[in-house]
Amino acid sequence: MNENNPSRDVFDAIADPTRRQLIQLLSQAEEIPLHELTAQFQMGRTAVSKHLTILKEAGLVADRKVGRETRFRLNAAPLREIHNWVGFYSKFWSTNMVRLDLLLKEEDE
Amino acid sequence: MSFTLELDYQYTSTVEKVWAAITDPAKLAKWVMENNFKPEVGYRFQFRQKPTEWWDGIVEGEVLLVEEPKKLSYTWGTGAEQHTVTWTIQDLGDGKVNLHLEQSGISNQQAYNGAKYGWGAMLDQLVKLLEQ
Repeated sequence: MNENNPSRDVFDAIADPTRRQLIQLLSQAEEIPLHELTAQFQMGRTAVSKHLTILKEAGLVADRKVGRETRFRLNAAPLREIHNWVGFYSKFWSTNMVRLDLLLKEEDE
Repeated sequence: MSFTLELDYQYTSTVEKVWAAITDPAKLAKWVMENNFKPEVGYRFQFRQKPTEWWDGIVEGEVLLVEEPKKLSYTWGTGAEQHTVTWTIQDLGDGKVNLHLEQSGISNQQAYNGAKYGWGAMLDQLVKLLEQ
């Protein structure tokens, strides 16, 4: 699994609230060991690990072994895809509706 | 699996003026994009704007329904996405008009997931994250 060729859709990866929270936590630090991440959740290490695997498959996190612990860090680049997609559909229409309002006002003058 | 976007906007105008704004190519050019639109069932048209990094700027469509001056429907295709856009104009009285937009058929899995996620409250948080 590498960051340039993720095997999982990034939209799928962030559809889950636990995984969004993991992204949030990882965005606040350079690197976080698994046991520290696990401490933030009402679930076991295995469950947190599974979520991290899904994020990894989408290219959103990278991990490395340091001694006996695994440390995780965020790779935010794939989120750009979501930013662009959402930005297009929301901004495109909302901007245009405001422009339509201006057009209709112009015509009254 | 398909996702439908619905938006409502109120304007101080008349049904006829709003109808003209959504069907007249010169008016559409002012608020949507340059186009060769005609409100005729079966007519194929294009909207074009300057390409961006993630969009070629071309929308292709075909007019599906014309019920002057209340309802207009056409296909709206851009990239991998093929949608149906339906406009409904309603007179609210007191010089107010409601314009309803329904965009259906947001169909591929990625777009669907994006929509499901995207219209939620996470966007602002995500923007902040990307700006870091």
